[in-house]
Amino acid sequence: MAAPPTSTGFARKRSRANVGAAAIALAVSLIAPAVHGAGTGLPGLEPKLLPPEQAFRFSARALDPQTLEARFDVADGYYLYRDKMRFAVEAGGPTLGHAALPAGLRKHDEFFGDVETYRGALVVKLPITGGASGQSLVLRADSQGCADVGVCYPPTAQQVRVALPAAGTGPGPVVDAAPQKKGWFR
Amino acid sequence: MERIPRWWWVALVGAAALVAGAFVARDVVAPNADGDAAPLLAVSLPDIEGRPQRLDQWRGKVLVVNFWATWCVPCRDEMRDFIRTQKSTGDKGLQFVGIAVDNADKVQQFAKEIDLNYPALIGGMEAMQLSRSLGNELMALPFTIIVSRDGKIAHTQLGPLKQAQLDSIVAKLL
Repeated sequence: MAAPPTSTGFARKRSRANVGAAAIALAVSLIAPAVHGAGTGLPGLEPKLLPPEQAFRFSARALDPQTLEARFDVADGYYLYRDKMRFAVEAGGPTLGHAALPAGLRKHDEFFGDVETYRGALVVKLPITGGASGQSLVLRADSQGCADVGVCYPPTAQQVRVALPAAGTGPGPVVDAAPQKKGWFR
Repeated sequence: MERIPRWWWVALVGAAALVAGAFVARDVVAPNADGDAAPLLAVSLPDIEGRPQRLDQWRGKVLVVNFWATWCVPCRDEMRDFIRTQKSTGDKGLQFVGIAVDNADKVQQFAKEIDLNYPALIGGMEAMQLSRSLGNELMALPFTIIVSRDGKIAHTQLGPLKQAQLDSIVAKLL
């Protein structure tokens, strides 16, 4: 039998609703870390290892119709190899010129000799020829990196679609290769 | 006594299902210890000379299958320990097998430089997929599976396998 709509009746219903909501919130908050962290929980590596697209976040924007700006944001505790970095524009698009890669941190590898690595933010300007304002192109970046905890990833390809802006209108927006992960309660 | 509204029960059962599901999911993505190594042992890959080698030829040994590459520095570092251990414990029935996700030329060159005393098989993307099916979701290296004499997966490791841990696991299996 339904409770009569007295002020006391409503107050009691609302407090039960609050308890119910609190119980659900508690259960979800307990499992959220488990579900979120699942997938990299193999023994030998704490804290959890990031997938390469998050360890080496790739994004790009067009500065003007003749120049792209590619960016890697390398997470703390990870690094990329300079000599494994490649950029390419998808066939049928404008031509990509020479990518001037900045110098990296140099270290000596006993098998490969001197190698250079990148940590933190890496920004590379890429010249484009034959592109027109408004034209969209797909920029692909191949990279290979490792984590300080002692693992290396295979070469990873990431790509973004970028539209060339009109001349004189300034840079276009930044396009991320991997979407930002949203938390449960954003 | 008041009746507890039906939606309360639905919410409670729903929350319980979520929690239970999460615990099941943890088991599914966790390493497959005590799992059957038959899918791994059935694999055939070429060695440095190009000759196909089936992993089941080493059935009955304590088998340490190590996925590695010359471009993986931590992989190369731990192989020195593996070489030493192969030398000291091989006669007791321990066998290391390396699966290099790499070019045969580079593998051959590196194998010569470090005096590799166990087989190096050459694998490409398929080898990476194999490691993923064994629990290496990110396909990172080094990745090591230890198989007991009776063909069960005794240990799975992503990242370098420290000597002390290797010794302890192997001692129990030999």
